[in-house]
Amino acid sequence: MANYLDGKVAIVTGAGRGIGAGVAKALAGEGAKVIVNDIGAALDGEGSSNTPAEEVVDLIKTAGGEAIANYTDISTMEGGENIVQSAVDTYGKLDIVVTVAGILRDRMIFNMTEQEWDDVIRVHLKGTFTVCKHASILYRQQRSGRIVTFASESGLMGNTGQGNYAAAKNGIAGFTKVAAKDLGRYGATANSICPRADTRMTQSVPDAARQMREDRPQDREEAPKMEMNPDDIGPFVAYLSTDQAANINGQTFLVYGGVITKLSLPRRERTIFKQGRWTLDELKELAPQHLTQGLVNPSPPQAPR
Amino acid sequence: MGDLLKDKVAVVTGSGRGIGRGIALLLASEGAKVVVNDLGGSVDGDGDSSTPADEVVNEIKAAGGDAVANYDSVATMDGGENIIKAALDSFGKLDIVVAVAGILRDRMLFNMTEEEWDAVISVHLKGTFTVSKAASIVFRQQRSGRIITFSSTSGLYGNSGQANYGAAKDGIAGFTRAIARDLGRYGVTVNSISPGADSRMTQTVPQSARDIRAASGMQGASAVTPLQLNRDPEDVAPMVAWLVSDEAENVNGHVFHCQGGQISLMNNPAEERTLRKNGRWSVEEIDAMFSGTLGMDMVNPSPPQPPKE
Repeated sequence: MANYLDGKVAIVTGAGRGIGAGVAKALAGEGAKVIVNDIGAALDGEGSSNTPAEEVVDLIKTAGGEAIANYTDISTMEGGENIVQSAVDTYGKLDIVVTVAGILRDRMIFNMTEQEWDDVIRVHLKGTFTVCKHASILYRQQRSGRIVTFASESGLMGNTGQGNYAAAKNGIAGFTKVAAKDLGRYGATANSICPRADTRMTQSVPDAARQMREDRPQDREEAPKMEMNPDDIGPFVAYLSTDQAANINGQTFLVYGGVITKLSLPRRERTIFKQGRWTLDELKELAPQHLTQGLVNPSPPQAPR
Repeated sequence: MGDLLKDKVAVVTGSGRGIGRGIALLLASEGAKVVVNDLGGSVDGDGDSSTPADEVVNEIKAAGGDAVANYDSVATMDGGENIIKAALDSFGKLDIVVAVAGILRDRMLFNMTEEEWDAVISVHLKGTFTVSKAASIVFRQQRSGRIITFSSTSGLYGNSGQANYGAAKDGIAGFTRAIARDLGRYGVTVNSISPGADSRMTQTVPQSARDIRAASGMQGASAVTPLQLNRDPEDVAPMVAWLVSDEAENVNGHVFHCQGGQISLMNNPAEERTLRKNGRWSVEEIDAMFSGTLGMDMVNPSPPQPPKE
């Protein structure tokens, strides 16, 4: 136990299992009082159970920390408001919000149902908004506060079968960059984590999908094969939540194992420029010569089966 | 009139005005038959009117092109299906979908209502999904097709007061990269445009908001484009027309920024600096290392301001 977060109060959504549980334990280990929020649903969002949140609270208390369980569904405005209110009611204030809650409903775009789309967008994206919006009211008044959201490489780079998840996760990345600008002037920060970890969620990706992804031409560096414990994400989230990290704002970090990487904002890789509007004849010649030359199609056409 | 898109059939959502209109006009002038979709709502999404879509159809026809108007909302699954069906019913097939439709409801995060959030996410993000999903069924069967979506520098970089819009627009960029991988194997490409243009939409951003961004040292999305460029909404169309042509058949899963005569290929977020150790970091270790490594040259895009008296 250290004391980087002594006297702080934190909310961690989706903290009953996996990465969220690791974050809750890390924050509590540094002295924060933690609202351990988890609806206790199955990976696809079905059902609910108090057990996962309670188990994490027990672990924290056994280790000498302070925490209470919360089972609110963060995907409604009332849920987001309730959870922020419960931090204030229980511990008198709120300093840190970490939004980890999420579900997975993978499907190829041409087969994806409205329900599969709506559920994933609602839990990840709206669930991040509802909690952060209500926290931001307090943060603005008290002129301090921390938000750490969870984006994904699936959104930044794209994964087969995850149109809904990539939209939600990259939406969270965009949301976080705006929240950082809305709140920075009030002394609050908002940053985003792209985690790699072996959890219930990644275990659900079928081997066939993994194989399909691996068979593709590689337009990006392959992730190193190593053990990726979900508890490895917590320490860096705890650091971003400290007073020491007061000036880290609007950033995205890739975190796994013992690796912490700062990701860049998008950059212009190649540019063509002229005064005035391009004609199609000009583009036909210049685009393939310069703008798109050598680009790798991440999913090249296949012969029909 | 060119013939780059001769015999192609295209759907352009939100094409009653601004950027969408410019695209519909250019695709038609290159020989495509166009479904001009526009609900005809106000910038904030209220109301509807068939006039904007009708006017663009008339313009296309007057120039010798072929087009039909459609007034469905992209924000429902039925609407998305109807728009695709309009192409099949009117012109017998579908080759190109360009999803431009969008609305704006700017508000600082701490004041943003559920309604403001839901409306923007539903028109931009779900509206891109509904049309792309319905089209992808056709594209997969015929083993060809083009989808162009619209993201934004507000999502890529973040603009104060646009939590809903930034989420929707960066969500669209993520969606684009994912479904490019779903559909590429079927001979389909999916790319995204981040446009810079002065349209009805950007005119709604108050000058006071621009001033606040500048005065507080806050980086606006415009920081990426120091050049003062003409930002005519019709300037976005040529790159779209090229991307949906057969010439661009291997360009898949990318984001292009188009503003005036400037067209850029955007990269994916790159790994800038890395801290690495064997085993798990402690907070104390990160604290000791961060500022001299990952934190070097890190700029707070919205630094703390003293409270106003």
